[in-house]
Amino acid sequence: MKISVLGAATTKFGELWSRSPRDLVMEAVNEALDDSKEISLQDIEAVYVGNMLSGTLGGQDHLGAFFAEELGLHVPAMKVEGACASGGLAIHAGVTAVSSGIYENVLVVGIEKMTDFKPEEVAEALMGAGSDPERDAGASFPSLYALMARVHMEKYGTTEEDMAAVAVKNHYHASLNSHAQFTFPVTMEKVMESPVVSSPLKLLDCSPISDGAAAVILSSKIKKTGRNIFIVGSAVATDSLGLAERDDLTTIYAAKEAARKAYKMSGVGPNEIDVAEVHDCFTIAEIIAMEDLGFFGKGEAARAVRLGQTRLGGRPVINTSGGLKACGHPVGATGVKQVVEIYRQLKGIAGKKQVKGAKLGLTHNVGGSGATAVVNILKG
Amino acid sequence: MISPVKVWRNQKKIQKILGLYGIIVSWTKVHVPPVGFSSQAPYVIVVVKLESGKSYIAQLVDWSENSLKTGQKVKAVLRRTKNPGEEGVIPYGVKFKPV
Repeated sequence: MKISVLGAATTKFGELWSRSPRDLVMEAVNEALDDSKEISLQDIEAVYVGNMLSGTLGGQDHLGAFFAEELGLHVPAMKVEGACASGGLAIHAGVTAVSSGIYENVLVVGIEKMTDFKPEEVAEALMGAGSDPERDAGASFPSLYALMARVHMEKYGTTEEDMAAVAVKNHYHASLNSHAQFTFPVTMEKVMESPVVSSPLKLLDCSPISDGAAAVILSSKIKKTGRNIFIVGSAVATDSLGLAERDDLTTIYAAKEAARKAYKMSGVGPNEIDVAEVHDCFTIAEIIAMEDLGFFGKGEAARAVRLGQTRLGGRPVINTSGGLKACGHPVGATGVKQVVEIYRQLKGIAGKKQVKGAKLGLTHNVGGSGATAVVNILKG
Repeated sequence: MISPVKVWRNQKKIQKILGLYGIIVSWTKVHVPPVGFSSQAPYVIVVVKLESGKSYIAQLVDWSENSLKTGQKVKAVLRRTKNPGEEGVIPYGVKFKPV
């Protein structure tokens, strides 16, 4: 498989109170079109919108037509939803649409507007991605990942400091990213002293509530000028909605399965990946992702983070954007933003956070506590 | 909104779990709750491996710091789960207590 990424862009992520979802999407789409240089809006034959909460929080469903109207298009347009993996799923939908041969050029947009609402309302809305017993228990996503963290700590000796090291690294990367929500570094002490949200996870183990949009143009055509970037593998897997139905809480089976399929499809192995954007909704999630993707053996990822092996200068470099933790996590936008970041890395236009000579990159996007996972592999 | 019909329908599932014993596989103490649970915070959520072989997630009641450990034996009991909505339907569900 070889699908061209012709153009890609994100807005700044953060508390963007003066910006509406329409503003954010238009900015990301216009920048992606400018970036492509060869495609105009009229060339777009279908639109896929990755979003989770527009109905629950904003009261606005029917997002396909909503954004098609804003773009002045009359093409097929639809929302793709898979909790926090909505963006990655929208990319997968775009890839399959272009692969089918029905469309030559499609637009994939990821968008979420979360900071208009109270945090406890957002926490409740996000639990729409969980199971009935989880909601009845008063679980939030920090508590579900805390339950995974506890078992990982007891089974593999992972410590709270190891998890804090993920936050420190991702804040450092975000400090080099002008589009990140948190562009400041944090110290290990600051993470460790932050208040407990759901033990053992603390505030600075958690990704924030964010607004933001990202857009990618996918095509069966190759670019006439400049470097071509391709999606060479795209795979999705699913698992039980609820955490309790899983055999092993220290791994996300759907992510392992999606990775296995994406590696097979692309003919690329985990050792060949130079740079990856992984779903660090909580610090423990990045440690689990590193193991599920085969970058490190089971129980060995925490040590790699501690030694700085996944920081800029190491290999594979993980979450150069700052990840969900520090770049921000507007849930429907995240999976699309991950592809934008890898595209920029492989093009060599990632600025101060550039991984030198990056040729192969991977995105890992997870919905719920692991019920949906999407893995995309990109080649420069 | 809590649908009374949904509460009624789910009671059949709850009945199968009540009275079962199990052990704590993982636990967390929640300090920042979602809507409807603020009056209970901090509260403890556990994943329990039941004697039936299945696992279930629910709150732990009547806990002390000593009972917050993996391997702790618990029993499934019926308790009120969250603040009732405006319709006044009081939702009951499974919670665990240490034994």
